[in-house]
Amino acid sequence: MYKETGEISGLSGRMQTAIEPQDFSGLQARRQALDVYWQQGVSGYALLRKHSDFIDHHLADSFARSSPPGEGFALVALGGYGRQELYPFSDIDLMLLYDPARKDELKSLVEAILYPLWDTGLEVGHAVRTLEECMADASEDFFFRVAMLDARLIAGSAPLFAKLTEKYKTVYIEGKRQEFLDDMLEQRLKRETQYGRHTYLLEPHIKEGCGGFRDIQSMVWTAHVVFGLQDLASLQEAGLLSLEEFKRFEQAQDYLIRIRNRLHYVSGRKNDQLFFEHQEEMAQAFGFTNAKDMLAVEHFMREVYGHMQTISVTTDLFFEHVEEVLGSDDAPMAGKTLEPGIEVRHNKIHLANTERIRSEPKLFMRLFYQSSRIGKSLHFRTRKAITANLQRVDDKLRHSRRNAKLFLSILVAPEPFRVLEEMLDTGFLTTYIPELAKVESLAQHDVYHVFTVDRHLVQTINELEKLKEDESNTYAVVSSPHILFLAGLLHDVGKGFGHGHADRGADLARQVGERMGLTTNELGILDFLVRNHLFLSHTAQRRDLEDEDLIMRCARQVNTPEKLAMLYLLTIADARATGPTVWNDWKAALLLELYLKLALLLDRKDLSAQEQERSAELGAQWIREKVSELLPQGAKTNFDLFSDDYLLSFPPEVIVQHINYAKKLDKEDVLFLHEQSRDSWSLLVITRDRSGLLARIFGVLALHNLNVLAAKIFTWGDGTAVDTIEVSSAISETYDWQDWEAMESELHLAIKQRLGLEHRLSRKLAPLRNRPQGVQQRLAAKVAIDNEASEIYSIIEVFSEDRIGILYDITKALSDFGISIYRARIGSKADQVVDVFYVLDNDGKKIEDPSFIKELQEGLLYAVSKQ
Amino acid sequence: MKKIEAIIKPFKLDDVKEALNGIGIKGMTISEVKGYGRQKGHKEIYRGAEYIVDFIPKAKLEIIVEAAQVDEVIETIRQAALTGKIGDGKIFVLPVEEVIRVRTGEKGKEAI
Repeated sequence: MYKETGEISGLSGRMQTAIEPQDFSGLQARRQALDVYWQQGVSGYALLRKHSDFIDHHLADSFARSSPPGEGFALVALGGYGRQELYPFSDIDLMLLYDPARKDELKSLVEAILYPLWDTGLEVGHAVRTLEECMADASEDFFFRVAMLDARLIAGSAPLFAKLTEKYKTVYIEGKRQEFLDDMLEQRLKRETQYGRHTYLLEPHIKEGCGGFRDIQSMVWTAHVVFGLQDLASLQEAGLLSLEEFKRFEQAQDYLIRIRNRLHYVSGRKNDQLFFEHQEEMAQAFGFTNAKDMLAVEHFMREVYGHMQTISVTTDLFFEHVEEVLGSDDAPMAGKTLEPGIEVRHNKIHLANTERIRSEPKLFMRLFYQSSRIGKSLHFRTRKAITANLQRVDDKLRHSRRNAKLFLSILVAPEPFRVLEEMLDTGFLTTYIPELAKVESLAQHDVYHVFTVDRHLVQTINELEKLKEDESNTYAVVSSPHILFLAGLLHDVGKGFGHGHADRGADLARQVGERMGLTTNELGILDFLVRNHLFLSHTAQRRDLEDEDLIMRCARQVNTPEKLAMLYLLTIADARATGPTVWNDWKAALLLELYLKLALLLDRKDLSAQEQERSAELGAQWIREKVSELLPQGAKTNFDLFSDDYLLSFPPEVIVQHINYAKKLDKEDVLFLHEQSRDSWSLLVITRDRSGLLARIFGVLALHNLNVLAAKIFTWGDGTAVDTIEVSSAISETYDWQDWEAMESELHLAIKQRLGLEHRLSRKLAPLRNRPQGVQQRLAAKVAIDNEASEIYSIIEVFSEDRIGILYDITKALSDFGISIYRARIGSKADQVVDVFYVLDNDGKKIEDPSFIKELQEGLLYAVSKQ
Repeated sequence: MKKIEAIIKPFKLDDVKEALNGIGIKGMTISEVKGYGRQKGHKEIYRGAEYIVDFIPKAKLEIIVEAAQVDEVIETIRQAALTGKIGDGKIFVLPVEEVIRVRTGEKGKEAI
């Protein structure tokens, strides 16, 4: 193996002087020649040129020695050799052009040229053609047609060669610009399908892959044919590339050349794919060393990806430009203005005036927002303008709430992937969220991660979007999808600093979220998701899922069904976005098992009874202290009145409110308060507890068209009933229009048993009773009575369909049986009601007599199925 | 020479590998396999949605050892993979006729 710089063996005496091809005896010395050049420190483009010169010299030599006199023959280099870009193991594409009149002399000349070449062990692509044959072949073969663009005369008849190039130009270039472009684009598309659309695959192909040499050549060829430009520099002069773009592009090209040179040697053959097993050696050769945070190879690959990305983006922009130039015979269409400064024209989104983005930085996000909203890409000139003005993306913009809102809405809108890719390619994403710059083009040297970190993050968003449909049941649980998607975009933001990327990522994500103005609650969820994004998959694969303690601990860590759903979706998206080997139905099955176990546990409210008891005692004590602090000094409050359960159900301030209201009970029999909260209305009823109280309250609510969403029913030790009820209007009445006064007075009457609830409700509900009974309506009602779960109370669970007045019927039935309700939890989901009552019979005992249990069940079933 | 195939619970894989390393077994082939035996696949209903997994994920280890070492390897795997619950897995022992190392052409004991 050679070294790019370093000691020399053998030819050391001559190393300081320039060595010419003629210093070597014949083509067989090619390998030796290359070694010497390297030892002299010749690398990159210069080496390709030297190599090409070397071959030129010796081929010209062979030609001169055996060529018959006259103008009958020309030795022509094609393709990469034609461009004088010869890598150590590149094919040598040769063509011997001849005058058909001299056909007899051909054989000996061909032998004289080709035999020594074969001895070098190089792959030689050779053809012998007349001018006519050339033209015929070119008409059929796209690759030959393109190779001809780089044709170069090595030896022989210049007039013959000139005739060929002239003819080629008239037939295949002049007036054929559109056809050429179409062919070129078709080939590009084919390559994309074969080698992948992306520059950042695990083992990039630096010749055919996206952002590889073919992209560079396609651009140069097209510039040649379409604009008559010969090289990169003239592209810049013609204004097709900005100076900045040109410099970056040239740098990228040079880097790739050096890689390819080295790669051929490392592999010992013509190999243009940066295979996994070569990457470490290549990294060393390029002078990278392992650091604490990042491996040499990861550093190296990051550079590779970065440069290929430059080439890919630049050539994409170039081809869009050319397409537009050639397609411009369409009548110039007036743009349709989407908003001031932004318009849509020819299916692309344009900045109406590229200068405007300098003075109005909010346009950056507005452009992407419009792109997301109407599902069209940004025009290349607009993308260039974004990249050129990124320094205008300042802290003010990064802290703008309005800007953040747009960004978050892009994440949850359709096609977030397309828009985020454009954000990434233009450099906007990493400028807007600088935390992401650290993971830009960052490679992970293992066989799992197919993408660089930044691409993986964007890919995760893509997968999350697919899960909206694939896992629609789980997705339906998520009430703040924008946080889920933001977590998807940021979950690996802590990578590139060694171990602990999830914790570091969570801190960074929180920083981003704070800047975007998320609420404390949202920040908490974001932090949780990023910090735990590996938790489910690790647990599913490495822990015994039949260990109930483990499942319990996990459930406690995840805490709510919604957070579990979000984490589950993120886990799947992350795995799918990592690479083809990471996600399969085997892993899916393990993850699903864990998910369902946790979900079922979290849905049960009695999560870890023991644990709850312990923390409940502490919690209740804390609340007692808080409440005493909040009460006016000297106020006498007997805390024995309040059960732990009650204390834990409200914040201290609310309990203080209850205590203060309850004092008025001396003067009034019933206290009724109502207020509007976010999604519902909250009612508070305080009165002396009495038999059938709850039924009367629910009856009045039904009379006033109110649906009960949830209720907390408590009775203090002194017999004060404190009932808080969340309701919503069944007839979509607004809060202000609801007749609260009438309701309050009826509540008073009902509680004092001066209101005929039974007949009033019956009359009110009559019109509803005749509705046809669909199949879906007959969900079997169920009543369960549980004496195990609670030490003190019997627990009655009633499942049934929801309808107006059902709670009145249930509680009325309970009251008729003389049963006292001490606590109740009312929950309705869709059309179903699940109501839980903690009760005792009229002797203050649990309901344990089997025949009474049966009677009670039947009574309740009758009550809920009453028409 | 024998080939030992062990089907175990996935989460026990690390324990088993470690235990085998402890008795000098360094090389093995590991794969993710899907099983269907006494421990059936299952259907769960959660929030109205049906989730069906019609196989049980398992890990498979394949190890080639000399006949004399078979009992030790079996016992090591068994102990490390044991949870005592249904689905702990199975171990199979098969005769092996010949082992050849591709790189060197070595055969038999040397090639293991």
